[in-house]
Amino acid sequence: MNMVSAMRRVFVTGLGIVSPLGPDSDSNLQSLLCARDAVTTVGSFDVSRTRCKTAGQIPDEWMKDAFPQRRSSSRLHRSARMVAMALHEARESAKRPCPELLIVGTTSGGMSYGELYYRRLLATHSRKGLARLVGNYMPQKPVLDALNANGLRIPTQIVANACSSGSNAIGHGFELVRSGLRACVACGGYDPICELVFVGFDSLQAATSEKIRPFDRERSGMVLGEGASFLILESEESTTARGATAVAEVVGYGMANDTYHLTQPHPSGIGPKLAMQRALRSGGIDPEEIDYVNAHGTATIFNDATEGSAISELLDDVHVSSTKSMMGHALGAAGAIEAAFCVLALREQFLPPNINFVEPDPIWKFKVVANASRRAPLRFALSNSIGFGGANATLILRRV
Amino acid sequence: MKIFVQGVGAVTPLGPTARETWDQLCQGQRAPRKIMASRLGKRDYYWCPVPAKFVSEAARQPRLRRSGTVSLLGAAAGFDAFADAGLKPAPEIKERTAIVFAICSGGVIYTRRLYQEIVTQGANAASPVLFPETVYNAAASHLAALLGIDERCYTLVGDSSVGLSALHFATELLAMQPDLDRCLVVGAEEADWLLADAFASWRMATTKEFFEVYGSSVGTVFAEGAAAVLIGRTGAICLSGSSAGQPFFSHRESAAVAVEFFERLHTEAAPDLIVSSANGTFADDVERVAFTRLFHSVPVYAPKPALGEALGASAILQVALASLALRHRQIPGTLDAGSKLRTVNRQTRAHSGTDALVSCVGFNQQINAVTLQVC
Repeated sequence: MNMVSAMRRVFVTGLGIVSPLGPDSDSNLQSLLCARDAVTTVGSFDVSRTRCKTAGQIPDEWMKDAFPQRRSSSRLHRSARMVAMALHEARESAKRPCPELLIVGTTSGGMSYGELYYRRLLATHSRKGLARLVGNYMPQKPVLDALNANGLRIPTQIVANACSSGSNAIGHGFELVRSGLRACVACGGYDPICELVFVGFDSLQAATSEKIRPFDRERSGMVLGEGASFLILESEESTTARGATAVAEVVGYGMANDTYHLTQPHPSGIGPKLAMQRALRSGGIDPEEIDYVNAHGTATIFNDATEGSAISELLDDVHVSSTKSMMGHALGAAGAIEAAFCVLALREQFLPPNINFVEPDPIWKFKVVANASRRAPLRFALSNSIGFGGANATLILRRV
Repeated sequence: MKIFVQGVGAVTPLGPTARETWDQLCQGQRAPRKIMASRLGKRDYYWCPVPAKFVSEAARQPRLRRSGTVSLLGAAAGFDAFADAGLKPAPEIKERTAIVFAICSGGVIYTRRLYQEIVTQGANAASPVLFPETVYNAAASHLAALLGIDERCYTLVGDSSVGLSALHFATELLAMQPDLDRCLVVGAEEADWLLADAFASWRMATTKEFFEVYGSSVGTVFAEGAAAVLIGRTGAICLSGSSAGQPFFSHRESAAVAVEFFERLHTEAAPDLIVSSANGTFADDVERVAFTRLFHSVPVYAPKPALGEALGASAILQVALASLALRHRQIPGTLDAGSKLRTVNRQTRAHSGTDALVSCVGFNQQINAVTLQVC
């Protein structure tokens, strides 16, 4: 391996998104433009005893053709369908490159199969069908299924840095291409909704029984979401050589550990602030150049307080929205989906909305993109992710 | 750019440090087995636990007071690797160090307890104390906090080969970041009856007390443990080759994929020692085919019959043991070796080689390897 000699430009040449806002990037774009609320009542497990009863969910009908050629696909976890679809779209939109590496962020993988395994043990001593659940439960399995479905046999790296996982996966991919270690990588994240995580957030009283209202003075908590998204990142040389079209450029990545608490961010906002500062420094970008921030914005009291302070302090009166207001928090996929939303915002020159917004909090200086998308000239977009364990990550993208 | 192993650490059922584990292995010791009663599956499983006294120092850290076992194990191994390198995590060192953590099942004990509460008592009874410790990166974030590392800290998940993927990831960080001096790569795993039961359903775990490697593949016995490798830009043992790994999509094709992968990784020096991942499952046959084809006279040491299968920790532990073999010029004997692989090293003996291959065939469709060289 050679030490970094020269920094290469890193282009986004393809993207794929499967989220509660739509089964592909076009439908996600339309949902962002029309400020669609995709949060609905949870139907896949019992929520009668939880405070929160809603989430952003992907209808299974959207994913029924994810594995058209595999008869055994009914055995696979539904997250394999999400990953396969998003990866397929990303490759198709990038004119079918063969990436050298797939880097994927996730937090829970096929956890719902683990839940089903436990419930089956409780209900019966029969072991029929249990092997299928074990084999498809592990986080790397949906990724391998998606690779197989897409005709790819490439190495994978599965990053599990809590809710920053998707951003970290893209950030690592960005650094590999920028440094010249790789010419083309696919990177992103996935997470399906599952009972254990849903109840876990509910037990922490982080989830709300109301609408999710990021950065609102009366915000009361988060709702979960799910989905998958992938970007194809390529060096300029690879992009040109393949005749691919760049849709955006990744220019900065920073990460920070606030080493404070497993679930609570440091009240000073030092974690997100350091991550943003490091991303700006890595891209050689001045804070004033950032036109739009896709915030982590979970709408919990603690997250928005610390992230809001950090954004206010560093970026002053920038436009900010949390697209989680429309589709919930997709955990390990969130950073990847939100990076893809930034690509769409830069390409189409609009500010994605922050819905359910009623009353601004006067302590922050930034401008929340309240309730409706709007046209705006954008050159740089910044995406934040903040996860359990004090894991903070920031990506910066530029219009091409 | 060359990357070196600067220190190795471990906490295993055989010892509280890598060095003590190594001494026990060289003496032919095997980890004591205990019975882990399955609460629901009507089956009991043997496992190899780490004695509580081995992690007592880590357990005294206030940050780890309520943490899961996997976090205690990871912290103990991480500190041991720093000590082995003769380093203390002082401010000037921690600023230039990254952490990459490898996990397979993670906080399975707390995860099972949390879900048990949800299923048996209702969602509203779920404990908020348990949930945060079930997150894959909990162990890494505890260790980062204990070491004061505030920037690069990654957790990688995967099957039992994930440690080698994490090691490669760490080499990428060092290659890309001139401001990093070193990277601490830690693999850790805790054991639970649910894990053993699940793997038994998958025909990967046995209910027997011992298992044979390169013989009849009856399944493995799980273990707790953690291992750590501190890599950096100077040292005596070079990490001469690493990879992000290679997937295989069916057991049928796994041996062919392994042969092709090992062949591609070893274009330079041929290994004179192999530390293998053999664990009494299909992985043994995959390795046997590849070793017989490519390295037909190279001695193979398989540590898992002695230590058990510690999943996310196991591959890093193999790297630590390979480093110690090169450092001490000695190979431990493989316990419970079957007759299918002629080159298995069966008795502890002196070894004058300079190149080691660490091979790993994961449970769930991943093959990986790294090479080490005395410089």
